[in-house]
Amino acid sequence: MMLQLKNANCGYGAFQAVHDLSLTMEQGKIFALLGPNGAGKSSTIMSIAGHVQLFSGSIIFDGDDISHLPARERVKRGIAVAPEGRRLFPDLTIEENLTVGGYCQSSEKEARNRDMVFALFPRLTERLKQPAGTLSGGEQQMLAIGRAMMTEPRFLMIDEVSLGLMPKMVDVCYNAIEHLKSQGVTILLVEQNTRRALEVADQVCVLESGNAVWQGAAEDARKDPALIEAFLGMAKDSAA
Amino acid sequence: MLYVELLAQGLVQGSIYALVAVGLTLVYGLLRILHVAHAGLFTLGGYIGVLVTNATGSLFLALIVSMMVVGVLGMAIYRLCYQPILDKPPYVALIASIGLFIAMEEIYRIVFGPYGISYQNPPLQSSVEILGLSLRMGEVAVGGGTLVLIGALALFSTKTRFGTVWRATVTDPDMAESFGVDIIKVRYLNFFIGSALAAVAGVMVALLNNLVEPTMGSVPSYKALAIIVLGGLGDVRGTLLAALALGVIEAFGTIYLGNYLDRDAIAFAFLILVLMVRPQGLFGRA
Ligand SMILES: Nc1ncnc2c1ncn2[C@@H]1O[C@H](COP(=O)(O)OP(=O)(O)OP(=O)(O)O)[C@@H](O)[C@H]1O
Ligand SMILES: [Mg+2]
Repeated sequence: MMLQLKNANCGYGAFQAVHDLSLTMEQGKIFALLGPNGAGKSSTIMSIAGHVQLFSGSIIFDGDDISHLPARERVKRGIAVAPEGRRLFPDLTIEENLTVGGYCQSSEKEARNRDMVFALFPRLTERLKQPAGTLSGGEQQMLAIGRAMMTEPRFLMIDEVSLGLMPKMVDVCYNAIEHLKSQGVTILLVEQNTRRALEVADQVCVLESGNAVWQGAAEDARKDPALIEAFLGMAKDSAA
Repeated sequence: MLYVELLAQGLVQGSIYALVAVGLTLVYGLLRILHVAHAGLFTLGGYIGVLVTNATGSLFLALIVSMMVVGVLGMAIYRLCYQPILDKPPYVALIASIGLFIAMEEIYRIVFGPYGISYQNPPLQSSVEILGLSLRMGEVAVGGGTLVLIGALALFSTKTRFGTVWRATVTDPDMAESFGVDIIKVRYLNFFIGSALAAVAGVMVALLNNLVEPTMGSVPSYKALAIIVLGGLGDVRGTLLAALALGVIEAFGTIYLGNYLDRDAIAFAFLILVLMVRPQGLFGRA
């Protein structure tokens, strides 16, 4: 088991965004975190990354309790994030964003990881010197995932995989995700596009107002969409 | 010829603003604190410059000592004054900073006397002709020194790995930490470099005026605040350009508007005008 949340309560100061959440994510699997706006998906991710306060409960990674480690220690253990809104360093070029991503790696590993990113996202090689702030939405998402890959993660979290992307870009990103999975990386996705997430996911959790309202195998949700559509308004999603 | 002369004077003044304001904008970018006490470090830089020059006869040595001492003191201010209150609202740090600045001015008054100190043998006073302009060596040194230092800073921050990480950290400290950056280390570096540059500015102003007095930092303190707003808070390149622009505007303004407005009033009229049109600053993104 790669990552486990045990009765996690997290939030911001006095405001609690996630209530008593327990999740288990298995090594090499894709876990999809779904739910309406404001459900607490991003808060969960950022709490695992070490940026949102965990009030109580624990985060177990690879058998160790990492609940109290600062964010920079978590990344050294293999946890990486492509966060909501991408949060690239806008004034830095593509190349430099990747440099920051690989900050903790030795220079041989850095070069190898960079090659891997470019193999998955050849588009990025065409504009190495372009500031990230001027990239298109799709390029920004590729760079956000690429920057996270530079840390050589064993556990990768991607928030809003396909938000604002045209279908071709969505495919590029999902190809990358499946490739990473084939390399044994465990992946946690947050996705607005429920159908797309269910296609690749192994496990699913639906959050609503900070509470887990459904958890189970993606297989079950695929077979019986009605299972989770009540929570998500999938009817609207599939009409779009 | 008058125009070129005014331009040169403006750029020299602007260089000094730039050296002070860069440290301020770096601190703002990293901590979202308006580091008013920064101007107190500028003053101290001037004092150390004059004292060491008078004691050893070497302006160069004075410059190095001043940068080191003030740089380390800048780090100490971060550690002792700001780090303990970082989780408080920003105005808490602002008030602490203003208090520290006032205290520093009083300390200088007590330690170095109220009337200020001067170089015994003011260095770099001779004149040189450059492109038909007659400039004091001191002015040339200010311009040239600023160019060298800012150039070195630009090289460090764009060509080295740590420099790149530093720039990333200034724009988004949390994200930088997500990639393993020890942001406390970056903050120390940031305070060291910013403070050392302010010390250089202090030594240079001491050179141009041949005087260091306890309140020497007052005007630069609020002018540097104006400059970093003009440059787009936290934006180093914008801050440098805004500093030079302000120096030039002041130089021309005092000639053409000097009968109505003094130098500082011109600077702030310019600030207000710019912010009415571009609230995000001259070069900031909307
Ligand atoms: N920085 C913050 N400070 C205070 N409250 C916050 C903060 N960020 C998010 N929240 C609140 O926490 C709750 C959960 O937000 P979160 O961003 O985790 O939801 P989400 O599921 O990611 O939503 P979306 O699909 O819109 O991205 C919301 O009520 C939100 O208003
Ligand atoms: Mg979100």
